[in-house]
Amino acid sequence: MADPKRDGIGGPDVLRRAGDASVLILTSLADGSKHGYALIQDIKGFAGLQLGPGTLYGALDRLERMGLIEALPAEDRRQPYRITAAGAVALRAHLDSIERVTSVGRLRLGLGEI
Amino acid sequence: MPGSRSMRLVESALRCYPRRWRSRHGDEAAEIASLLIRGGTPARSVAWSYLMGAARTRLVTGPRRRLGAAAGALLLAAGSLGVSLALLSSPAPANAANVTHSRTAHPRPADLRPADPRHGGSRPADPRYEGGRGAPHRCDRHDHC
Repeated sequence: MADPKRDGIGGPDVLRRAGDASVLILTSLADGSKHGYALIQDIKGFAGLQLGPGTLYGALDRLERMGLIEALPAEDRRQPYRITAAGAVALRAHLDSIERVTSVGRLRLGLGEI
Repeated sequence: MPGSRSMRLVESALRCYPRRWRSRHGDEAAEIASLLIRGGTPARSVAWSYLMGAARTRLVTGPRRRLGAAAGALLLAAGSLGVSLALLSSPAPANAANVTHSRTAHPRPADLRPADPRHGGSRPADPRYEGGRGAPHRCDRHDHC
């Protein structure tokens, strides 16, 4: 049963326990399909951290099993992935959840709303 | 192309993945490693990441084996429990246990009564009262037993 307080309006936050790597990958794929190395470079660019390749593949496999991303036909040796509709919904729900926590945190630190 | 030693290290780590994973991702994973090492990432770090990834993959992709082991352990535990309960609930061993108990180091007040002379004193050597294997659990000669 979905808890609106915990899960937000967008539905249950299935990424709650999926790990940071999964969220970073979905965020990276939100603007188009990418293969492994492009994902690592993109995430390094917007989040400032480099995912280890083992972590990347673990998260890709998990997200694919959850139906949040899908593999596209391979180009040479590279396997591109794209976000699915379910993945977009899950990412939105997770970002909503983070945003609520961010607002409360800023408010309690006396920084006010963004 | 990174040094052959670096790539050997990475390839060793990649060999730890299940065969199915390697057939799908192996080539791309080697290429990513090569690009990362060329970009300045230490080969050790790349190899370690793959090694940890392989361990996680093996833990995740073997649920059937783990379920089988868990089911086996549960069956074994249930079997042991069943045998223990059966032994505890069957009357013969229970009585034997009482007899054994009454002749051991913690006598109950009833055991401190003087021995019935009809039984011939303290009867320590009588196998019927030892409670061991094959000993009858009830004295069939006297009604008071």
